[in-house]
Amino acid sequence: MSSEIYSFLLFKSLYQPTEAFKQLAQVDPSPVGIMLRYSLWLLILPPAFSLIGAANFGWRLGAAEPLMLPTQALLLVSCAYFLILIIGLLSTSIISRWMASTYAASTSLGRHVALITIVGEPLAVASLAHLFPDVLLNIIVLIPTMIWSMFLLYKGIPIVLETTSERGMLMASSLVGWLLVAAVSLLGMSMMFWTLGVGPLLGV
Amino acid sequence: MDEEDNNLYHDKVVIRLIQFSIIWAVLAMTVGVYISAELIWPSIDFGQFWLSFGRLRPLHTNGIIFGFAVSALMATGFYSVQRTSHAPLYAPRLAWFCCYAWQLTVLLGGLSLLAGWTTSKEYAELEWPFDIVIAVVWVCFGIVFFGTIANRKIKPIYISNWFYGALIIVIAMLHIVNSLAIPVTIGKSYSVYAGAQDAVVQWWYGHNAVGFLLTGGFLGMMYYFLPKHAGRPIWSYRLSVVAFWAFTYSYIWAGPHHLHYSAVPEWVLSLAMIMSVILLAPSWASMINGIMTVSSASEKLKTDPALKFIVLSLAFYGLATFEGPMMSFPSVNVVSHFTDWTIGHVHSGALGWNAMITYGTFYFMVPRLVGVELYSLRLANIHFWMALAGTMLYIIAMWGAGVSQGLLWLSVDEIGELSFSFKDIMSSMTPYYALRLIAGIIFLGGTLLMGYNLFMTLAGKHALKVYAPAVSPAFGVSS
Amino acid sequence: MSALSLHKKIEENTGLLIFGILLVSSIGGLVQILPVLNQQSLQIATENTRVYSAVELTGRDIYIREGCSVCHSQQVRPLIAEVERYGPYSRAGEFVYDRPFLWGSKRTGPDLHRVGGKFSNDWHRVHLIDPRSVIAASIMPAYPWLAKREASQVGNITAKLSALRILGHPYSDEDIAAADSELEGLKEIDALIAYLQMLGTGLSEDISI
Repeated sequence: MSSEIYSFLLFKSLYQPTEAFKQLAQVDPSPVGIMLRYSLWLLILPPAFSLIGAANFGWRLGAAEPLMLPTQALLLVSCAYFLILIIGLLSTSIISRWMASTYAASTSLGRHVALITIVGEPLAVASLAHLFPDVLLNIIVLIPTMIWSMFLLYKGIPIVLETTSERGMLMASSLVGWLLVAAVSLLGMSMMFWTLGVGPLLGV
Repeated sequence: MDEEDNNLYHDKVVIRLIQFSIIWAVLAMTVGVYISAELIWPSIDFGQFWLSFGRLRPLHTNGIIFGFAVSALMATGFYSVQRTSHAPLYAPRLAWFCCYAWQLTVLLGGLSLLAGWTTSKEYAELEWPFDIVIAVVWVCFGIVFFGTIANRKIKPIYISNWFYGALIIVIAMLHIVNSLAIPVTIGKSYSVYAGAQDAVVQWWYGHNAVGFLLTGGFLGMMYYFLPKHAGRPIWSYRLSVVAFWAFTYSYIWAGPHHLHYSAVPEWVLSLAMIMSVILLAPSWASMINGIMTVSSASEKLKTDPALKFIVLSLAFYGLATFEGPMMSFPSVNVVSHFTDWTIGHVHSGALGWNAMITYGTFYFMVPRLVGVELYSLRLANIHFWMALAGTMLYIIAMWGAGVSQGLLWLSVDEIGELSFSFKDIMSSMTPYYALRLIAGIIFLGGTLLMGYNLFMTLAGKHALKVYAPAVSPAFGVSS
Repeated sequence: MSALSLHKKIEENTGLLIFGILLVSSIGGLVQILPVLNQQSLQIATENTRVYSAVELTGRDIYIREGCSVCHSQQVRPLIAEVERYGPYSRAGEFVYDRPFLWGSKRTGPDLHRVGGKFSNDWHRVHLIDPRSVIAASIMPAYPWLAKREASQVGNITAKLSALRILGHPYSDEDIAAADSELEGLKEIDALIAYLQMLGTGLSEDISI
């Protein structure tokens, strides 16, 4: 197991995703190796951009004046963000591997982690938009990126997990279902925390 | 010859209903796109009363629910009930009557909404003359459907028919109870319920119209077409039995969660919230049953657009049925209620689930009904990505708008003063509305592609003659 | 008989299936909705709540006709921010003469339950005819036709009051007899404004939350 795969993934999978998928299908990387030498470097980007952006410009939510929080709070938020991304990646990879047993695809956890990371990579890069944390700007940049990521998911699964395109399609749709539910749960949970008194004041 | 014709499935009415359904989808989505543009450029109603937002929005919702969805449910219901009963439609002339009478009702009903005839009760806006016609056509629909089942050559009634059956029965009950009113003139009546009581009855109707029509009815579609496409039986029969009855029992209770923090008694709201959460179990049971059915058959599968749409629709179904119970928690509802989050939630169901599974089913049925290949696979694949992109963009734009509205309306400063004026919050919504407009246009564009594709597939063709097969004695009625 | 064999019976008999669905789906309605319909406390009017006059009722029917409730709620929630923004939260007793209820489900515009008395008649008139001349950023549709049409043409007001009397609204014979003349000379916009100005005035004056 050469370490070339890591540098390839890190530097080329953004603009040569198909090539990356094919390379990945040749190997059985260790999940820890993929995490440490590939995924984490990408996962650190959004929280970092968000920290810089929020410290310089403040969060901008529609009509509101930019919300400037003290650096300590921002650090805390960024750490939580980083943590959620790591949990998100790992849980999605594990669920993906669990599904793979149904779809008779490869069950190498390392491949699943790498696959999900490649799929998420455009989003990590597009999180550059966090440098100016205006909700709208971020939505405009991130939604098309997300649709591109979904396309990569449908494309990547059959190649990396060595399964037929039919099963790949089924599995990708199931994963989309999981991701949608996960996203809306996060939204719901943050609303609950907010209305229960964490975060800016609400008159409820 | 006579004997044969007695066994001939009535598929022409199915084709006609599919055509009407597509036409309604295009028309009602066009209205949707137009009114979403009105929220950005309010003056494009040109001072015409019939282009005014307040009149077009009910036209949009009624066109989608009663035009697009019900026509699609009638088409797929007639198609599948014949094939699962091994018997042609009972009273085929009545089926044709249902088809045309329904289209006429939706057409005239839509015009009456433009004229300002409305009860203002959501999804029950049509005034009393239409309520009566709807009830009559609905009963005819029931006669054709249950008559066919009664004539069946196979002993058990297949699962999909339970869901279609629940659709017919429960919607009839809801419709009649909620529409009780004293007529004043031809276009005006007063509800027999008043105030808070009217609110509870209306949301008992409104929520369950969504429940039994847009969820239950379409689950019937899923339970027939998914196993059919996969070429194997449903994954777990027991699960489908439990899911069906639990669904039918618990959905009915959840309606008042639309009325959190209102003057409705607290116990009603708490009960509605608890039942909404319980509802998640039967809702997801059907989803899992569907997914496992195709998954266990994947070596036989052929990835065509039909299957892609149906499978993806289950993902959005999973989202919508999870999001709904979540939004019934008071601590989430306090933010989401009255905002565009609700609109987004409805559309994750309507676009992601209802429209996509219907598209998939149409792509499956139309070539088979006339015995040819789909006119263009390529267009259908493009449609798939347009539908997915449009839905995602729509949902996320509305999440952004809804959460901003909810939080900004409620936020107060240290001394308890409101932080923002309503006007400022509202005027910051324009960009989200612009994104939503784009999402709508993409989704409508996909629907137009499908319409073209399917009409070209059908052009000049006739319905294949399909006969009910002879039934093996093991499954026959007489066993 | 095991549950599955019972179910086998149901799924092989059309009548039983229909009956089963009807039974199972109506339990919720009977246990949850029916008691609400019988709950007396929801039918007791608050101190200043009264039936709509002929003009106000006509205004309310215009409000319904134009679909105002599509974008404006009439339900102030018991939350600090809402009471501060709109006024005292809504009580069940304020809606006893509302057929149908108009609580709404979406606030594209602000809540209107406490709008009565907040703006002058002239403000409403200008705002309804051309919202953007008053609030530049408003996305509310303009309703120029309201100023042109006669209020008496909105519907048969005598029949309306009689119908509501059947439903228990305390209109006297004199109220009904005078209804036509009350609308005389009024435009639709006058009736609508009369309705808006009486909205939310059903609570006793000393209630502030």
